[in-house]
Amino acid sequence: MIEVHHLRKTFRLSRRQQREMGRAFTGDRIDAVAGVSFTCRPGRVFALLGPNGAGKTTTLRTIATMLRPSAGHVTVAGHDSVREAREVRRRLGFLTGSTRLYDRLTPAELVRYVADLHGIPRDEFERRRDVVFDRLGMAEFADRRIGRLSTGMKQKVSIARTIIHDPPVLVFDEATAGLDVVAARGIVEMIRQARERGRTVLFSTHRMGEVAQLADDLAIIHRGRLVFCDTFEAFRAASDAPSLEDAFIRAIERAEAEVAA
Amino acid sequence: MRTVGVVFRKELLDTLRDRRTIVFMIVIPLLVFPILFQVMTTVQRSFTRRERTRTLRVAVVAPPATAAAIVDVLRDAEGIRPVTGVTADSARARVERDSLDAAIVVADDFDDALDALRAARVDVWYRSGDDDSILRTRLRRPLEAWEDALLERRFEQLGIPRSAVHALETRMHNLASAQERLGRTIGGFLPYLFIIFSFVGAMYPAIDLGAGEKERGTLETLLTAPVGRLEILLGKFGVVVLSSMVSAVVSILGLYVGFRRSADLPPEFEQLVLRILGPATILRVLSLLLPLSVFFAGLLLSVSITARSFKEAQSMISPLNIAVIVPAAIGLTPGIELTPLTALVPVLNVSLATREIVAGTAGTLELALVYASLGALAVGALWGSALWFRRESIIFRS
Repeated sequence: MIEVHHLRKTFRLSRRQQREMGRAFTGDRIDAVAGVSFTCRPGRVFALLGPNGAGKTTTLRTIATMLRPSAGHVTVAGHDSVREAREVRRRLGFLTGSTRLYDRLTPAELVRYVADLHGIPRDEFERRRDVVFDRLGMAEFADRRIGRLSTGMKQKVSIARTIIHDPPVLVFDEATAGLDVVAARGIVEMIRQARERGRTVLFSTHRMGEVAQLADDLAIIHRGRLVFCDTFEAFRAASDAPSLEDAFIRAIERAEAEVAA
Repeated sequence: MRTVGVVFRKELLDTLRDRRTIVFMIVIPLLVFPILFQVMTTVQRSFTRRERTRTLRVAVVAPPATAAAIVDVLRDAEGIRPVTGVTADSARARVERDSLDAAIVVADDFDDALDALRAARVDVWYRSGDDDSILRTRLRRPLEAWEDALLERRFEQLGIPRSAVHALETRMHNLASAQERLGRTIGGFLPYLFIIFSFVGAMYPAIDLGAGEKERGTLETLLTAPVGRLEILLGKFGVVVLSSMVSAVVSILGLYVGFRRSADLPPEFEQLVLRILGPATILRVLSLLLPLSVFFAGLLLSVSITARSFKEAQSMISPLNIAVIVPAAIGLTPGIELTPLTALVPVLNVSLATREIVAGTAGTLELALVYASLGALAVGALWGSALWFRRESIIFRS
């Protein structure tokens, strides 16, 4: 379970960033996320959508304890993301499209490293590694340097790294961005399996096809604020748009119009 | 501490698989001195042999009787071919355009000066970029032999013993031990090397483990693991400190190997150097290296973590090279001693303390101040980089 309560994250802007914001912007701080609340439940997949710069990555990084909330709070599997950050990370698998792998290690070494960081005992690790490597078909390249692997192989290594400690909560931040259809399908399949195993899954994406395939619940964030948060069925029912993509764009346009008014 | 060890082992493995780091940490420090010594010795030997054995063409410009005396003296010297029958002007011009190696020109009043018991002037023209050149030495020897003969004759004429020319017999006694004298030279040079190499050895791992990790996008793996930021930093820190120390020790080893293999030195000198650089001295010098490496590691990791990319880190760290080289080089300057004040100046204090340790003249107070100052700097650098590593604006700087 992930519970996000009135989350606010404020960043102080450098002078360069202030200049880049344009003349209309005054001040030296910006709310990347402003009062966001939602709940992701076990056995369900929660899709967090929004245009670039909406605050998705900031929200997900705060959930993953990489950032501290400026206000509000986040709990993951019952643990507070600030006071019990280590417990949160112990129960979390985090995968983003921008996270890379250590090219000079082999997949076996990398997965062992992550398991050691999680304090998984040797025999338990070996059992999990065999299951994960078998499920992902990684045995043939487990001892090759990651830098020499194909994109698809690397994607499998990323997945193995994310799930080796069998986390009850999984967070994906545009994890399929830049991947080809085959590699992206691996992530989608992993999310589906996680749901079947009763895991809590939160993911952000720009691919509406993935949302349609996976999402049980859905939230749209725009300019740091939630503009929609309900089940996927409720979102489809609330919009008369011909496609999911159109429905998303209309939700954003409505939010823009409200801001302008 | 367990997780610090996990991070340390992984970072060490990763670092040891990086060719660039290995080159800067081990290969260059190990090979630079043996290669440098070998090349220098070979070039110097070849040049010296050529300069000592080639036949010199030396013009003699003097009245006939004097010229004959000079020619006799030059013929007695090995490898000099006197050239007579040239004027002073043409001799000088030919020396300038290298068709003669030298010209010995006797002044017009040469004989009068000798008769009057004055110093008779002899001009020697030659071309050399070095005032202590072999050419100059080879020319001086026959002229000194000639002067000796002239003086002998002069003392005979005057009827006084040759020893009368000396009124004082001054004997200088240097009470400094051989270790002190040689130690100051070696001890001045040694820290210059290991300070530079401990910095260079720390530089690439620090950039790779800080900015490199940010640039490659692998940092999130660590930040989302159940490990504290301080533990991550300490793991990385350990690798950078180790690299720095290994690089410095390897550079000293390389110097030793180069010295043993190539240096054209008498065996007594070699034995003396090896006696001075005994295990106790080396251990004391290495004890200075540890806090210095920790200081460098803290400094470099802080800068590296701040940078957005490997390239930016390199450009930020380059000026620091100067900040390290300058105080290290100042330590080589004669007259600058280890005092309670200089003991507090980072890098310079290591340079001066090493000199004193090797020379066996290190004062307890000054050494204590050096260790205290280095310890404080090391702790400060570690604390500073820990603070830096906790800042979101630094970690996610883009």
